[in-house]
Amino acid sequence: MVDINEAVRSIQATFGTKIRSADRVREIPVVTAAKQDIPAIASHIHRASDLRGTLSLQWAVDLRPRQAAYRLYYLFTLGRGTWLILMTELSGEDRLFPSITPRIHAAKWYEREIRDMFGLIAEGHPDLRRLVRHEHWPKGTHPLKKDFSWNHLMGRQDGEYHFRQIEGEGVFEVPVGPIHAGIIEPGHFRFSVAGEPIMQLEVRHFWKHRGVEKLFENLMWSEGVALAERVSGDTSFGHSLCYCQAVEALIGVEVPSRAEYLRTFFLELERLHNHIGDVGAICNDAAYALALAHCGRMKERIMQINDSLTGSRFLRGVNVVGGTSVDLSLDGVTMIEHTLKEIQEDFSDLARILFHNASLTDRLETTGVLKERTARDHGVMGVVGRASSIDRDVRRDHPFAAYGHLTFKVPIYRYGDVRARLRVRIDEVHETIGLILQALENLPAGPISTAMSSAPRPGDWALSAVEGWRGEILYFVMAGEEGKVHRCKVRDPSFVIWPAIQFAVLGNIIPDFPLINKSFNLSYAGTDL
Amino acid sequence: MIESVVITFVQAVVILAVSPFIVGLIRKVKARLQCRQGPGWLQPYYDLVKLFRKDVVASTHTSWIFTASPYIIFASTLAAVLLVPIFLSTVPLNFAGDVITVVYLLALGTFFLILAGLDAGSAFGGMGSSREAIVASLTEPAMILSIFAVGLTAGSTNLSTIVHKTALLQGIVTDPPPHLMALAALFIVTLAETGRVPVDNPATHLELTMIHEAMILEYSGRYLALVEWASAMKLLLFLTLISNIFAPWGIATEPEPVWMIFGVAVWLVKVSGLAVLIGVIESMFAKLRLFRVTDFLGLAFILSLLAIIFFYILRG
Repeated sequence: MVDINEAVRSIQATFGTKIRSADRVREIPVVTAAKQDIPAIASHIHRASDLRGTLSLQWAVDLRPRQAAYRLYYLFTLGRGTWLILMTELSGEDRLFPSITPRIHAAKWYEREIRDMFGLIAEGHPDLRRLVRHEHWPKGTHPLKKDFSWNHLMGRQDGEYHFRQIEGEGVFEVPVGPIHAGIIEPGHFRFSVAGEPIMQLEVRHFWKHRGVEKLFENLMWSEGVALAERVSGDTSFGHSLCYCQAVEALIGVEVPSRAEYLRTFFLELERLHNHIGDVGAICNDAAYALALAHCGRMKERIMQINDSLTGSRFLRGVNVVGGTSVDLSLDGVTMIEHTLKEIQEDFSDLARILFHNASLTDRLETTGVLKERTARDHGVMGVVGRASSIDRDVRRDHPFAAYGHLTFKVPIYRYGDVRARLRVRIDEVHETIGLILQALENLPAGPISTAMSSAPRPGDWALSAVEGWRGEILYFVMAGEEGKVHRCKVRDPSFVIWPAIQFAVLGNIIPDFPLINKSFNLSYAGTDL
Repeated sequence: MIESVVITFVQAVVILAVSPFIVGLIRKVKARLQCRQGPGWLQPYYDLVKLFRKDVVASTHTSWIFTASPYIIFASTLAAVLLVPIFLSTVPLNFAGDVITVVYLLALGTFFLILAGLDAGSAFGGMGSSREAIVASLTEPAMILSIFAVGLTAGSTNLSTIVHKTALLQGIVTDPPPHLMALAALFIVTLAETGRVPVDNPATHLELTMIHEAMILEYSGRYLALVEWASAMKLLLFLTLISNIFAPWGIATEPEPVWMIFGVAVWLVKVSGLAVLIGVIESMFAKLRLFRVTDFLGLAFILSLLAIIFFYILRG
């Protein structure tokens, strides 16, 4: 583990007076500097051998009406789970800030997003094409600026997005999506191929911008839970938990320990049904439909448990700020323990069949390798990261809910191919069932929620992380006037991992892409905020 | 004369009627092996009826090839089927062509399917066509050679002669090894030509992985119905070839109505058995990587070539 005090001292020693201040906000060190010094400092945090910071999130806040300025935050994760925030301010009419992308690759999409949403331009960014704001959005439309009203009706303009092109004899472009043959979310993939091998893939998403972050700013901080649940449907609980944790930190609510255990229990249930579903879906994309049928059956059983316990198959309406709204009865606990043990046995049988099937193994091995270096450069974590040697898991590195009291292993694989990603999921299914049984066994008695007392001070903010089933979910919530949310930055792990898939497919052949994509199984909605 | 016309007509009707059933049977077997109920037995028939009732939507970029192809594919497949003995060992049309005719009637259908895939100018159709061209060019020699291997024992390339002589065990040299090798080769060819796992996945929705389905993505309404029906017939044709070339016993050797009815029953049992086998294989194996398909088809070619070489070696 990196000693955070040591880290801050070392940065101060290196940059001297360039560091304007170094404070603590809820244990997280915040280093402030002038904007022109940011690239050097960020690069130092990223590269210095004692820091090795991964850029986990970069976001902007429009401070109006309290202050005519924009604030830029850079969140670094040092080592496994130590946070450090770098901050700078653009005041008055200043719309330019120096890009850190040339030095830190992971900033690439964040800086394009900031430009689209706030109109702040990252100078020196190698690729300033629009990302979220597709070309038909009129010039000067930056939804997260405070002078842009949430119900503003946009006009339409003409424009063309220029894909990176490879030219040459026998090189073809294959456009896929945003409308697909199956029932999946919209995403466009532009392949440059020479025959079947893929020379380049460009992912173009953000077809259904929903204004989620803008909508948060219209809500009281207590009302945001329902919206967070809808950021990415399959991660309803992970997102709502992350939002609740941020708000709870903001207003200083202590969540009762029974609620902490219940949250752990539900989060693991969500992980369980998604992982089992993914195992089946990955095999099905190699035309091994047997696994899909059995995993579908097991997944359905778990979702029916969800439904019978909470009234929602996707665990919606369970989290509330201050705890949970649903309690478990003793009968419920017995029923779940019984069912989960059955599912574990069932799933172990299936996993054995999968590992013994040579034709399946042949398809999965060496397909879609995401190299560790590429994963690090993009800041990839979660299931995909753990299949490429990235040993990070918020549950262990930054314990939240009841994870600090429970024991579990974090599976790590080295090869980064489709099979490694499948194996991480299969291993995690077992760990998850273990976690659920532990949580149920140690479930403390007591209340399941705390009444909310104080309101947060305007301008106060909190950051929260949850290990959703895909990976690290981050929420930044800043309090506004009269109990409103001033800014809520939502980051689903998909936003980080999507760019990395462009590298995992290189050298593979086009018919293997769906399999690779399924093994990543990223959310489109989670990025289409 | 009238008898020949009637028998040919009946053969056409039987093939048209049974082919959707075989498609449904494979689906049902797969569903049962996955512990699912699966759609009803009549679903493939309902699908055809539904498609025939629907309007056709054709891209404005398409030419006459797109419109004509379904009819050519359907007609050439049906014509090929009429040359293959099903319940009577000597088909009335056997004067019209031998196994080479059958292979090239099927190739004609494939050729127009490939053209139709390219015609609309979509990326997926083009990919499907290029892949189908690879598969077709590799299966064709394997298919001809494997049937030749059996033809050598019967001393003819005419399917009716081969089946007739084998059914009566008359004037043929039977050595198991060449026959078994040729059988294995023809079975691999069947899986490849009819777009089954491990070569292609008929159940997929993933455009990028498709071969056969990618070529027909642009089709709708009755055109799609014709293409689907033709591929069902093609599947049945291959299963019939396997069962009647290698194990024709039970087939009627004289045009007696009673024996022909018995022949239909025996044939139904045999092709259903093969369909079940395909269903089991589809449940047991994942699809091959596209570039491994060539190795798989190379295996079929080598097997059929070995069958022919063995035939000569064993006869001394």
